[in-house]
Amino acid sequence: MMNENSKKIIFNKSMLLSLKAELLKKQEEVLEQKQLPQKKLENFKPPLSKNKHVDNCSEKSKTSFKDKLKAVDTEELEACRKAKLALERKTELYEHLSDNAGNSQLAGRFLVDFKTKKQEQVVENIENSHDEDEATLLIQDDQNEWTEFTDCLGRTRKCLKSDLELYKKRDKDLLRAVNKDAPYTEVEDEDKHDASTNTKEKPFLVQKTNDYLLSLRQKWEEKERDLLAKDKDIHYQDLLFDEARIHGVGYYSFSTDETERRNQMEELMKRRQETLKAQQDAEEVRKKRDALMAARVAAARARQRARAGLPPEDPKENEEDFTTRLMEFLTQQKNEADAKAKEEEKKIREEQEKERQKLREAYIREWDLGKEGVDDKVKKFREMSQEEYVDQQRDKRIEEFAPPQGSNSNKSNYSFDSTGRMVNLETNTPIEKSWSDVRPRVKTPPPPTIGDVTEQKGLYFSTVKKPEHSVKYRNFIKAQEEVTQIVNELDEHNDGEDQTSRPGKRTHETKHTEIAPPPTYDYYGPTPKHLKYEKPFDSDIREAYAQGSKSLETKTSNRQLPKHYDFTFD
Amino acid sequence: MSASEVSFNRKIISEDLSNVEFDTSEDVEVIPTFDSMGLRDELLRGIYTYGFEKPSAIQQRSILPIVKGRDVIAQAQSGTGKTATFSISILQSLDTTLRETQVLVLSPTRELATQIQKVILALGDFMNVQCHACIGGTNLGEDIRKLDYGQHVVSGTPGRVFDMIKRRVLRTRSIKMLVLDEADEMLNKGFKEQIYDVYRYLPPATQVVLISATLPHEILEMTSKFMTDPIRILVKRDELTLEGIKQFFVAVEREEWKFDTLCDLYDTLTITQAVIFCNTKRKVDWLTQKMQEANFTVSSMHGDMPQKERDNIMKEFRSGQSRVLITTDVWARGIDVQQVSLVINYDLPNNRELYIHRIGRSGRFGRKGVAINFVKSDDIRILRDIEQYYSTQIDEMPMNVADLI
Repeated sequence: MMNENSKKIIFNKSMLLSLKAELLKKQEEVLEQKQLPQKKLENFKPPLSKNKHVDNCSEKSKTSFKDKLKAVDTEELEACRKAKLALERKTELYEHLSDNAGNSQLAGRFLVDFKTKKQEQVVENIENSHDEDEATLLIQDDQNEWTEFTDCLGRTRKCLKSDLELYKKRDKDLLRAVNKDAPYTEVEDEDKHDASTNTKEKPFLVQKTNDYLLSLRQKWEEKERDLLAKDKDIHYQDLLFDEARIHGVGYYSFSTDETERRNQMEELMKRRQETLKAQQDAEEVRKKRDALMAARVAAARARQRARAGLPPEDPKENEEDFTTRLMEFLTQQKNEADAKAKEEEKKIREEQEKERQKLREAYIREWDLGKEGVDDKVKKFREMSQEEYVDQQRDKRIEEFAPPQGSNSNKSNYSFDSTGRMVNLETNTPIEKSWSDVRPRVKTPPPPTIGDVTEQKGLYFSTVKKPEHSVKYRNFIKAQEEVTQIVNELDEHNDGEDQTSRPGKRTHETKHTEIAPPPTYDYYGPTPKHLKYEKPFDSDIREAYAQGSKSLETKTSNRQLPKHYDFTFD
Repeated sequence: MSASEVSFNRKIISEDLSNVEFDTSEDVEVIPTFDSMGLRDELLRGIYTYGFEKPSAIQQRSILPIVKGRDVIAQAQSGTGKTATFSISILQSLDTTLRETQVLVLSPTRELATQIQKVILALGDFMNVQCHACIGGTNLGEDIRKLDYGQHVVSGTPGRVFDMIKRRVLRTRSIKMLVLDEADEMLNKGFKEQIYDVYRYLPPATQVVLISATLPHEILEMTSKFMTDPIRILVKRDELTLEGIKQFFVAVEREEWKFDTLCDLYDTLTITQAVIFCNTKRKVDWLTQKMQEANFTVSSMHGDMPQKERDNIMKEFRSGQSRVLITTDVWARGIDVQQVSLVINYDLPNNRELYIHRIGRSGRFGRKGVAINFVKSDDIRILRDIEQYYSTQIDEMPMNVADLI
């Protein structure tokens, strides 16, 4: 309702008059046109578009698809599509507005008042029904005078009954004329019908798009065939296939022809050289000019000073220079020091890098195993068997520390399998406690560790600590690193109940100076209940005893031990 | 003592890396410009004409180590120039006077292999580099002829490449670098065997470069088998999604409603270009047919189509002739079409990695992108899982989604 006021169209009489005049003028023009000779039916010729089409068809058989490509104008197609889209949008909007009849929020933006329009339409419809009645009446009235017929082109025409015969005759002439112009149109038409039976139902635009795509595909195919046909270099341009890619500003689309491309490339290089030279020249000119300018300014200042009776500028400049020079000197020194430090660091890094590189070269990938030239490399790192290792270690051993020899052989009484486990044990002693289980499992070749600036890292470092390993090491290596306390094992019986609190106490005690026990301690000191040795690994003492006794049993049963070794009391 | 015992022993010895956290290597240099990378002049020109001005984060970090000859594992977000990274490195380390295959690039799909070939040719346009796409579905004879002609770089899919190596058409003696694009996919169950087969023909200690947007832990674990002390450039998974790609979901109660939703969205799809992902080839066919019946122009592509057709569809899509592509995960990884700004997951992907790759088809090299997931009520849980895993945000689709494209 509110809109109605705003949409009132203001008009006056003069406007109406000019409108009427315009209308009359148009009507007159139409009449005049009708009178022109080329508009008369006798001079009618089949529509141009059809003619064109026929021409195209006849040529089609000869022309290659390239010409066909030209026929389908891309731009035109694009414009067509755009127009169609715009129209569709427009109809949609219109329908929306008319359906909502002014209730839409958009209604305020248009001059047409759809609400009243709709109401009027309803009224009009009613009126129209009256009109139609009248029209039918009119037709009935005129029935004796006017009649309709369909001509050869499928148009419905209206004429006076009396003229019907004449028009029909003309129609026949027209048909003959059309056929003469295009003797094989029908055949062509049929061909086309075959080709596009399924596309015929589709809207014109879709069909045209499909045609375009088809032609594009053909073009690409041809290009590909060209590429494959001869042995030649392939370049980016050959593979672009109309890709809609945005390149850099310096992008230059080279020719797909090799010689042309080379020429273009040369030209480009030449241009580049020229540009570089021009830039250089310009720079030189600029420098010269700057120097000249500076000299002139200096001269002018000197003159000014001379005129003012001041001494020439130089000494003061020197004074200023002194501080700046000092600064310069200092910064230079600093820079030098920095550079030196950096160089040193670099050197260290390089050395480390060299080391790493060596390790890298020595590393053998699992997937490379068995390849030519890899196997001899592998041999360097051959894994030793347990026996070999034991032998090697024996060779290194100082004889003094060797265990007492067996009665007849100096070879090991035990043999080991590949896992390092003892084999050929006559007894059923549990194998779990063998040495191989307790020793840290080291890979042979061991994972190379490569020194880093901050910390030690292997080629395959991990950021997560491995608890298993650290536990194993604690018994052997790490324990040595720590300050080992002297534990008075003999003290045990003194404070049997205090055992749990002892470790804490001890650490406290170590802060004081330690005094070695008197040499007579062993003799006079308290006699131990059990002699306890530092355990190399955690194991149940009872189990150990059991094992020990068992092994002693087997030993006694098997062979004779030297006298001083015989601890058994039988 | 037996062989099996020994190998068992070795297995025990080899480190258990399952709870090792892999990090970006220390002392990775960052080089802020292409000019300061010491690249050859012709290559620099190629880089600039292709449209790169400033190197992306991954390019700043990984080009130099690769050029130096180190093994590199490089991870970066989708569409940040990974392909260009290794392409530049390859071109820098090539000897163009030697007309033999010096670098082998393997990728999971034929389209990707072709795309890599194109990038290498584009960047090396001024170097006169020769790069061949050695992919399945093409004429064997022509492949052989092209390889005989002499190629500096071969970019291919594992099957055809292995075939060519076995036929001794692709000679491996001069190969000094192997690049696995989409490395996690290439080292997955389906491909790993084939990669191994190819690797066995390469000279020992060949430089290996792994590249992907997603590098799950189990992939990193196995790299020591074919790489030596690699430099790692990795991205934490909560930084893996791009700011520029907005992610949304549309809740649908039933599967049938997805289609209607898609039709409603069609106008939005065609603003630029869009890719719609389904989980199966059959579903792609079905959806394409249904869309076409409803008078929507769409094209489709999947692995069961003949290669010729796949090529044509790719060209049409790349040239902008077709705007909406319905496809499977064959399109999920690596394919780069600048104009794609919308990805629709008609079905949710089967794993988290694929989600990253799929949505990464939009928002290429700093452009904006939108990803819309169609979720049935029981799918929302999966989506929330993805959201949480990558610490990202997937909101319900707003009405003005078209403004974001």
